[in-house]
Amino acid sequence: MNLSEIWSYEFIRYALISACILGPTCALLGVFVTLRGMAFFSDSLAHSAVTGVALGFLLEEKTGLAIDPMLIVLAFSIGLASLMAWLFHRTTLRPDTVIAFSFTGSVAFGVIIIAWLQKYRLLDGILFGSIYANGPGDILRQAILALVVGGFLLLQMRPLTLSTLNPELAQTRGIRTGWLNYAFAILIAATVVVSLRMLGALLLSALIVIPPAAAKLVSNSFASLLLVSAVIGLAAPFLGVVASCQLDLPTGPTIVLANVGVLILCYAASLFLGNRALHRGGRPQ
Amino acid sequence: MIAPAAQSFPAAIGRKPLLQIQGLGVRYGSHWALRDFDLDVHQGDMVGIIGPNGGGKSTLFKAILGLVPPTAGRVLKPSGALRIGYVPQHLTYDTSFPITVGEFLTVNHPARFFWCGGVGRKQKREITDTLERLHVADLLGQRLGTLSGGQFQRILVASALLQKPELLLLDEPSASVDRRGSDDLSDILEEIHRATSLSVVFVSHDLHFVSHLAKKVCCLNQTCCAAGDPETVLTDHLLAQTYGTTGHTWRGFQPSDPLSR
Repeated sequence: MNLSEIWSYEFIRYALISACILGPTCALLGVFVTLRGMAFFSDSLAHSAVTGVALGFLLEEKTGLAIDPMLIVLAFSIGLASLMAWLFHRTTLRPDTVIAFSFTGSVAFGVIIIAWLQKYRLLDGILFGSIYANGPGDILRQAILALVVGGFLLLQMRPLTLSTLNPELAQTRGIRTGWLNYAFAILIAATVVVSLRMLGALLLSALIVIPPAAAKLVSNSFASLLLVSAVIGLAAPFLGVVASCQLDLPTGPTIVLANVGVLILCYAASLFLGNRALHRGGRPQ
Repeated sequence: MIAPAAQSFPAAIGRKPLLQIQGLGVRYGSHWALRDFDLDVHQGDMVGIIGPNGGGKSTLFKAILGLVPPTAGRVLKPSGALRIGYVPQHLTYDTSFPITVGEFLTVNHPARFFWCGGVGRKQKREITDTLERLHVADLLGQRLGTLSGGQFQRILVASALLQKPELLLLDEPSASVDRRGSDDLSDILEEIHRATSLSVVFVSHDLHFVSHLAKKVCCLNQTCCAAGDPETVLTDHLLAQTYGTTGHTWRGFQPSDPLSR
């Protein structure tokens, strides 16, 4: 199948558009997620979507109300993200401990509801996603998300960068880090929920974590980190969708492998450029 | 003059202070880190604060910055909003964070309206001027994680100066630099202080650095034990009283010691 043939199928066209919107969005947000050490946080929110979906079906079954399941998952994920952000701030528990019990607890609750409703087949779609199920409504939702994430990053770039580097220094420069952390956690939750259809809960982290990780290997400044990360975020999912059509492979895993391939290329490039030690960080003694 | 309860320094009496600390106390749980502390800082003051570890020096700075609430007393800024530039003792950050010195100073710049972390031409000029003043203009494009301790310290000072502060707070500015670096930093700070009448309050364990730079010294061990000119405060007797021991760190030390210059 050549590119024009691929483009002629509507469902593939939507998949490619979706990849081109969500890839750079997740990658740019991922720069701050990875620098803040929040990769596990985003992964846990993706997995907790199981509970949001289960609650949606429970609500529908018991009350007859057919609310858009995406809205219920979004509300649940934002609530969980806010709760975790509050616990990070208000307790002496380590963030990874808070994430572990919040995430396993909510997933366990979700699985119990699914078992009770006898809807195990739901798990397949949540865990692995279905990029070809994207329709115009999904694309619109994804475009709105991209605008919100892009707007937030443009307007809050300075406070977000400084508080990522050192929160205490940011506070002494008059930045209110508390609300910024909450807003960032909510934005991660929204991004994860809207992107679930593309890769599913199991693989979604690849979109958020791998592009900035690869970009960091070949970047010598923050501006280049953002730029390279966005380019990888755009190119790898696009290549993944095209390769999966050409080679008749499952699309989600192919997108992830395309990201991993770019990461390996960036590592090789960093070795070739001879500045690996620099990227490891550390000051000369 | 020795003022065991450290209030206004004599030369400043009658002038309106920039910062007024009255009966300040800060308690963490049942432990008082700082109690009954009084200090007035006037425009152009250069105050050095010395004292043992756990003596409340960093807590004092945090209280001035509003990062910890006072348990007792108050911190007043009589002239209204006071612009404070703060240089922390340690800045823990991921050294693999790919950010250049120029980018670090850009995100530290207090300019309110700009997009995507960028600043205008005027602000860029301010950044390069500040680096030139600190004799580190060549570091602009270098990655922050690759700087030496002394270079990094100067970049932190530059980031504080970019706030256009009326008061500069320096927490152990000479801690991560060698003797020569410490002397250079002290000369630069003195030059900036002379040129701008900037008020500076700094904490240091390095008595040479303190005697070189401070015009007034306050000994802090939970409360102010002594305050006054360096010549009157930096004596074996008062230092022993401050540190609560008769160790040898400062024994025989005189501010006029050529080693301190």
